[in-house]
Amino acid sequence: MNKMSKISTVLVASLLTVSLTACSGTDDTKEETTSTTPDTTATTSVKPSNADEAAKQYQDLMQQENDILSANSDLWEKVFASVDKDNPMIGQSSNYGDFLLAAIDDAAAAGKLSDEETETLKTGAQQVKEIEDQLAALEQDYPGCGSTPGEGESVDAASAGMASDSSEQTAFPSFTGKDFDGNDVSSDELFSKNKVTVVNFWFSTCKPCVEELGDLDALNKELAEKGGEVVGVNSYTLDGDETAISDAKDILSKKGATYRNIWFGSDTEAGQFTAGLFSFPTTYVVDQNGNIVGQPIMGGITSPEQKEALNKLIDQALANSAE
Amino acid sequence: MSRFRGWIQAAATLISNIHLPNFFKGGIYQGQGKAVCVPGLNCYSCPAASGACPIGAFQAVVGSSKFSFSYYITGFLILLGVLLGRFICGFLCPFGWLQELLHKIPSKKFSTKKLKPLTYVKYVVLVLTVILLPILVVNDLGMGDPFFCKYICPQGVLEGAIPLSIVDENLRAALGDLFTWKLFVLIAVVVLSVLFFRPFCKWVCPLGAFYGLMNKVSLLGIKVDQHKCVSCGKCAKACKMDVDIRKSPNHTECIRCGKCISACPVDAIDFSYGFDLPGKNPCDSAETHTEDKKTIEG
Repeated sequence: MNKMSKISTVLVASLLTVSLTACSGTDDTKEETTSTTPDTTATTSVKPSNADEAAKQYQDLMQQENDILSANSDLWEKVFASVDKDNPMIGQSSNYGDFLLAAIDDAAAAGKLSDEETETLKTGAQQVKEIEDQLAALEQDYPGCGSTPGEGESVDAASAGMASDSSEQTAFPSFTGKDFDGNDVSSDELFSKNKVTVVNFWFSTCKPCVEELGDLDALNKELAEKGGEVVGVNSYTLDGDETAISDAKDILSKKGATYRNIWFGSDTEAGQFTAGLFSFPTTYVVDQNGNIVGQPIMGGITSPEQKEALNKLIDQALANSAE
Repeated sequence: MSRFRGWIQAAATLISNIHLPNFFKGGIYQGQGKAVCVPGLNCYSCPAASGACPIGAFQAVVGSSKFSFSYYITGFLILLGVLLGRFICGFLCPFGWLQELLHKIPSKKFSTKKLKPLTYVKYVVLVLTVILLPILVVNDLGMGDPFFCKYICPQGVLEGAIPLSIVDENLRAALGDLFTWKLFVLIAVVVLSVLFFRPFCKWVCPLGAFYGLMNKVSLLGIKVDQHKCVSCGKCAKACKMDVDIRKSPNHTECIRCGKCISACPVDAIDFSYGFDLPGKNPCDSAETHTEDKKTIEG
């Protein structure tokens, strides 16, 4: 009997140990099926005046490059699949754009691309090449401007826009993304269209977040008359995670919330901003110029004090927008 | 080993809270480390926390609408319990260490021997506020509250609310009645810790309750050599957790601090690790053994 219990203890303990290893999460693989050509006209050419600006420009350029590549991702896939690793040109080129151009030539020569496709890709690769040149120049002038905060590193409150000096205008971090119905949304367009935009950060398993959805919907209806809007950002749905979006949609419909919810890439400025948030829900008020008004409301807006604070911010945003 | 206990406790507290710059930056670490639990009671929302609190994580999962039970965290707790038991309370828990430090403040000290019934309160706390209420009290979407974290845990206020709200004025604006209540709990625990030895561990801590039950099956234990024992009772007198190690070496209240081992004049008590095999010496404590002997002789 004693022996039996010892053996079973060993078995249970080893089973537990093994089961721990089974818990390591696998990252969701996302499919990208966008085929729109992104706006690349805004390529920055202004010289940055300090390291912060350089870092920001670096981010913007990287973002543009990613947009170009993700715009025709299926075509690029074809190119990458047919890359001839023995091609000396490919190994030596220091500019990623040159590499892409060479790879496209290879793929076209192998008959994997139509003329039209080759043309589209070459335009993209040419843009990438230009961006790469600018990136190299930036890196030379401001070494280290290309390094971004690593995953999980806490972004300090000031840079996350949470403890900004009230006398200074802080722009809401920019993004291009989609709403839950698949329509494109960009920060510029969203904020300039509304006299006031209330941006509510939440996530699906956060009880206080879910419990204020009804109030936010009522607020959205109220703001609609004043030319304003409430927009939800569910941190689980960043990068367009389909399961997370359907979960979030389900919760919104159960709570009777009909206002727009949007998502953007976690690598966008707003995506990194969201990753730095640690208190949910948090609600930001943004004026027509795209600037954050006052300080964010942390915690639910259901209590009278919080609601009053929010209304003050909204009035201020409306005043800013009227100027 | 017991001689270095204070240092081990300090090191464990530091390792559990390694991201120290966050105290000044006003954010919390949210990386991969938070996918794992630390062994002791250490708030997830501490700016410097390296991992999640097992009790907080358990409630978050069990109270969520997406999961019915926290299998991963339960398994993790059972594993730790089987490996170490309440040794975690004695050596690795930051909140246990804090209470011990507070107890060093000179004042009149009170015994908790007569308050034994209160030690059962922590099981009620475990079953009710950690397991049942988060599962049962839910809103229309099946979401529960982490009752223990929300209404009881003083460690959350100490490590989370206070440091975060000091650097973040917006968070300060959000503090309400709940914060006032929890601050009161924290102050009560601090005051009681000066007067009593580890009051929170003895009476309230659900993690201590769980590890206490695991003491019964834990590989780490304390053994009393009945042949050497002279029944002087010094071990029971030295024990601040009100345990008589001779009668019940695997008592749920024993935090394996080793005070009885140092107190024994004939070296009859020692840590043991592994299965209780007859005629086999405890395997990992030979060093400690001789050191303790020296202390007593010196």
